[in-house]
Amino acid sequence: MTPPFRAGLVGALGAPALAMGATFLAFGAATAEAGLGLGWALAASLLVYGMAGQVVLLQLVALPGGAGALPAVLGATAANARFFPMAVAIAPLLGGRAAGRRRWLAAPFIAITPWAAGMRRLPALPEAARLPWFLGFAHASWIAAAAATAAGHRLAPHLDPALRAALLFANPLYFALLMAADLRVPAPRRAMLLGAAAAPAALLLPPAWGLLAAGLVGGTAAFLIGRR
Amino acid sequence: MTEAELALALTALAMLGLRLAGLAVAGALRPDHPFIAWAAAVSGATLAAFVVLAVAAPGGMLATVPLPARLAGLAGGLAGYALLRGRLLPALLCGLAALVAVRWIIGG
Repeated sequence: MTPPFRAGLVGALGAPALAMGATFLAFGAATAEAGLGLGWALAASLLVYGMAGQVVLLQLVALPGGAGALPAVLGATAANARFFPMAVAIAPLLGGRAAGRRRWLAAPFIAITPWAAGMRRLPALPEAARLPWFLGFAHASWIAAAAATAAGHRLAPHLDPALRAALLFANPLYFALLMAADLRVPAPRRAMLLGAAAAPAALLLPPAWGLLAAGLVGGTAAFLIGRR
Repeated sequence: MTEAELALALTALAMLGLRLAGLAVAGALRPDHPFIAWAAAVSGATLAAFVVLAVAAPGGMLATVPLPARLAGLAGGLAGYALLRGRLLPALLCGLAALVAVRWIIGG
């Protein structure tokens, strides 16, 4: 374990793991209630690894009679379509030529929590340390997500609905705090403010598509204003 | 394979495809290419919209938490963050405590 990998691993423990774990715990409980097995719950958490898409997938496959696989796949993919721009944005920070082909190792872990941490921390690290730091952070987050999903699945009958609802708030609150920290930097500030302003537009669309639309509209407006 | 398993397998493949496509596209561009700045702006805006929707108009179980409690959670977290000079974990716990307290007080 190299020092940057270990630093990333340690960086994920604490607030990031807690915020993410709380949400995955609630997700694990919801899968158990829908009658899905632990294997399904873990595979959804580790391979989809994006809560908005996981929730859409769960809602559609758990419908009485089933919604059909295709609508579920399309809905979940739309809900997590942000992974594409997030991967584009973080790619130049993953160590450039020093990382070479190893940067593909980062692919399965590009999700909101590691992405937000990476965008903040990677620019300050030496190029050679960036990919190992990201992978360390990502592995700790991934393991926390799996452990929380399994715990939620097992503990579902004991988790009071009010508690589960409160747990679901941990993740958006964590991102709100990260954004508060970024408000001093002009480009992220513009994207945030315009994304927040575009959020009501999401209410006009089905939930799976609303977030994608708000992000595209707000982000594109922020980008265009920034170029003027 | 059940329908739930098939849907999960196909979604997992689509997710990996999105992530790999993003890395591949960025790998073919200069780091200062406008497309990369656009992608960062869209990602940041998506995150902000996600937070606003979770507080103002959530779906699913979070909708069972009354709006005043959600607002208290956000305000408590941000206040904790400002008072504790940017320490995330205690600020997060402040916010969740505020949410639970207000929910208990209003009995929602």
